Amino acid sequence: MSGAGYGLGFGLMSRRELFRMIGLTAGAAAMFQAMDSLGFAGESPYQGPIDLQGAPKGASVLILGAGMAGMTAAYELRNAGYKVQVLEYNGRAGGRNWSLRGGDSYTELGGLTQRCEFDKDLYINPGPWRIPYHHRGMLSYCKRLGVPLEAFVQVNYNAYLHSSRAFGGKPQRYREVKADYQGHVAELLAKATQQNALDAMVSKEDREKLLESLRGWGALDKDFTYGPSEASSDRRGYAKEPGGGLTARPVPSKPVGLSEVLDSGLWQGIPSGDSFDMQTALFQPVGGMGRVGEAFGRELGTLIRYNAKVTDIRQDEHGVTATYEDRNAPGTTFKASADWCLCTIPLPVLAEIPMNVGPDLSAAIRAVPYASAIKVGLQFKRRFWEEDEHIYGGISYTDLPITNIGYPNTGYHSGGKGVLLGAYIWGLNAMEFTSMTPQQRVQKALEYGSQIHPQYLKEFDNGVAVAWHRSPFTMGCYGMWSADARARHYDNLCQIDGRIALAGEHVSFLGGWQEGAVTSSLDAIGRLHQRAVAQGAKA
Amino acid sequence: MSAPLHRQFLKSLAALLLCAAALQAQADDSSFTSTAGLTSTGGEEIYSQICQGCHMPQGQGAIGAGHYPKLAGNERLASWQYAALTVLGGRDGMPPFGLPADQVREIRTVHLSDAQIADVVNYVRSHFGNAYKDKVTAGQVAELPHPDHPQAP
Repeated sequence: MSGAGYGLGFGLMSRRELFRMIGLTAGAAAMFQAMDSLGFAGESPYQGPIDLQGAPKGASVLILGAGMAGMTAAYELRNAGYKVQVLEYNGRAGGRNWSLRGGDSYTELGGLTQRCEFDKDLYINPGPWRIPYHHRGMLSYCKRLGVPLEAFVQVNYNAYLHSSRAFGGKPQRYREVKADYQGHVAELLAKATQQNALDAMVSKEDREKLLESLRGWGALDKDFTYGPSEASSDRRGYAKEPGGGLTARPVPSKPVGLSEVLDSGLWQGIPSGDSFDMQTALFQPVGGMGRVGEAFGRELGTLIRYNAKVTDIRQDEHGVTATYEDRNAPGTTFKASADWCLCTIPLPVLAEIPMNVGPDLSAAIRAVPYASAIKVGLQFKRRFWEEDEHIYGGISYTDLPITNIGYPNTGYHSGGKGVLLGAYIWGLNAMEFTSMTPQQRVQKALEYGSQIHPQYLKEFDNGVAVAWHRSPFTMGCYGMWSADARARHYDNLCQIDGRIALAGEHVSFLGGWQEGAVTSSLDAIGRLHQRAVAQGAKA
Repeated sequence: MSAPLHRQFLKSLAALLLCAAALQAQADDSSFTSTAGLTSTGGEEIYSQICQGCHMPQGQGAIGAGHYPKLAGNERLASWQYAALTVLGGRDGMPPFGLPADQVREIRTVHLSDAQIADVVNYVRSHFGNAYKDKVTAGQVAELPHPDHPQAP
């Protein structure tokens, strides 16, 4: 999950729209610059383990929420000598750091319960599923907690790009689309260079270097054309692959023409691994993303009070008190008090909890809508994507509402069943899917996915579907900051109000990323610590 | 370069730049998400496709760590303005549906026209046990303040 993406809906794009968008290209570049300055493309500010020396003796912090932000804070504050207590709504640690495995059950808002029937060791991550190499905070906690990692495959050249409106609905291999797009663009650019069209922009000295680089980049032949050749087949794959012996001779494949490549819209899927957040290497915890939250939960042990539904948060000059209900004994309320409070409760939930904070923070809490998002996990009787189609990990992208098919980046070549991410949906389609029953969501994901993998219908075993607006503990996927809301409310959401500070991905420029939760938490507890030390010195 | 070739070159170059610019800004895999507006205009269709996910099929709402307000028998619906303003601007984490169509992508919501908002407000106020007789029109919705996010500074 995460970020500030904006879809292009390429399936709907006509040639004329493409021309129109070309006119807007400068605008798009400016947009990216604006987003960059807003931090969407920014790097984690994580600078290594936080130093919280000098905690006042007996000082205490109440932490609301045992997700990544809350448990990061609990771990560090406990280690620094603070008295820590964590209240968590769920009966498990992790929050959105979560894996659904065989035997797990999940009840969504509205009361429908799904029991996950996956085989042993198979799982789906309903929330975050990848950790970029530069999310150093998350990686550091994985290391310190002993959570082993493995590679997450973002780009698989043999996975598909699929448009229901191009190539007769037949999915295309990523490597073919990329090679053909790149090859044609390189050829055009080379021709323009040779015809002196770029003379005003390219010096004579650079001209030959540019041409040579285009030949290499686009797999062009000696005449700077892109066509069926050893060079292009070495990128896009062969009609007949090279082998050994008498049957060994390779046959080059035939590239798709420029116009068809452009009209297909599939070029939109080419940079899927180019953005800073998606660049190799990425990681996933062995056994599912939920392993991080589970490890944190084990580490913190009885510091976490589970099944605690916070119903009121009060502060005065002495401290903070949260009232909470024991979900296992409805109507039974308790109070937890501390000198300070770190509140990581997602904003749609927090907005409805009475809490005496100032108008600026109160307005900020209510200013951030949460995204609608869906993930569907599908178990199949065999790993046909590997056996039949030679796709090992990675993601296929489609213009169908399911948008993604994510292949497991683990357990390659294993003989048994396998679980795919069968849908990862945003926007209107996500709202529509949310309105369905879980069974209907699974069924729809199957119908759409079978347009890409016809094996779906025969091999399907069982599935689970998580609609984030039906999540009882978040009421949405993550906070969607508009630039306007960011400008007006973000700093207010970060400021300590009396004795209460907020943390979570919603208090970061890494929206939806766990790194946002971790770094916002460290930033907040650093500031709380300063205040605690200052007050401790006074006392 | 010949004029057609020159055009084609610019087209390809622009497409390349567009790829780089547009898709780099996304931080997840929603580049292909449909953000097309809702085509249906009936209040019942809009409710079942958009509202029902949270407010539930019978308008009964839901309670978890927080809650989605029930619409069935909700006295706040006595004011059509309250209902329409909530749909337009969102409330307490609920996405706004009154943003201009070209601004919904930023926060991944959906654009509803004034007529669609009137339809769904009328539907909610006359179903789930609600029986308000006054109907709101698209023109009345148009007169309410709409959320309109200015461009980034």
